Amino acid sequence: MSEAVRIVEKKRIPSRAIMLQGLPDVGLVGLIATSYIISELDLDEVAYVDSDLLPPIVVLHQGLPHAPLRIYGNKDLIAAISEVAVPVKALHPVMRKLVDWAESKGVRMMISIGGLPVQNRQDIKEPKVFGAGSSKDSLELLREKGLEILKEGFIVGPQALIMRYCTERKLTAIALLAQSFFNYPDPEASAVAIRKFAEITDHKIDVSDLLEKGEEIRLRARDIMRRTQGELTRMKKSQEYDLPLYV
Amino acid sequence: MHRERRKRSIFEIISEYMENLDALADELIESAVTERPSWDIRSRCLEPLCNIFVTADEVVVTADLPYAQPETVEVEAVGENLIEISAKMRRKVRFDDFGITHRKGEFSSFRSRARIPVPVKTERMKIRFKRGILEVHLPRKKGYRIKVE
Repeated sequence: MSEAVRIVEKKRIPSRAIMLQGLPDVGLVGLIATSYIISELDLDEVAYVDSDLLPPIVVLHQGLPHAPLRIYGNKDLIAAISEVAVPVKALHPVMRKLVDWAESKGVRMMISIGGLPVQNRQDIKEPKVFGAGSSKDSLELLREKGLEILKEGFIVGPQALIMRYCTERKLTAIALLAQSFFNYPDPEASAVAIRKFAEITDHKIDVSDLLEKGEEIRLRARDIMRRTQGELTRMKKSQEYDLPLYV
Repeated sequence: MHRERRKRSIFEIISEYMENLDALADELIESAVTERPSWDIRSRCLEPLCNIFVTADEVVVTADLPYAQPETVEVEAVGENLIEISAKMRRKVRFDDFGITHRKGEFSSFRSRARIPVPVKTERMKIRFKRGILEVHLPRKKGYRIKVE
């Protein structure tokens, strides 16, 4: 039987890198942020994810076909994005494979950027970024950078699986979650998350262009947001609003 | 077949029931995420992202309207449980702007209809448009009130 998910490498993968993931999720915060980081830091496409569990799609760029779920990189940063909503049925195997692969490449830290949906988002001018970590050390790092920690509650989606699989493998993982709309693309939330990412990883990333193009991005992202919304319902993302029972 | 059925435990029956329920939920989601374009070339309209929240007192319909001219945003009650949202855009958008050259067409406004799932007082709806997001508040119709004895 062939592997459910395989990662096809196109270029040399750096070792001891930081790996960023921004798969489609609430407000497309991670996807918008990661795409912007890839573009600003001029990362190259180094690998892609292939799986029968993913929709039969290629994305055309400059007339050439690309896999929708791709991995970019330079000498110290690897970033995974998807241009299509990842079906819930594929989420576990894809995330498990990404973490396995990251471990095999000696990745030193996995960072997920995502959204934390809030009902009054429209009234929040500067969204706040919260942090979640896979270990006491990672929580300490987040605190040092001035992030408020998510202490109790549920995380649902790609970052939840990253956190779980990284904990199993003792690989440091953190999630940067910016207050966001649930199902509207939120470039402003992406911008504040990028600022925190840049601070933690010591990169210089100017987000002014992202903020300027906010409306254009919201318009372009309508269709992937609509498809992602379906997957968010399937994965029961609204469970993040639930109060935990554990006492 | 009959013997097989008798062998099944209550847990298996519940599990199968839950699986069927999940499959049904998936189908419903599929039908909600419509397999049609989010644009209409003939009317030059884009369909905005919309959302409906139902609370105890009201139904809140929101729509994401980037590039909308605030003064052109309109909400019309089309029927008792249907509202139409429309707005003109500050700039026209062409397929070319998205790098798509195999389709031709330009869009200059948003339009969509939202079906309200519970009875509301459309004549008392309130509208707010802030930072490109439209919010329509529709008070719910009150039902019977029964006093606790």
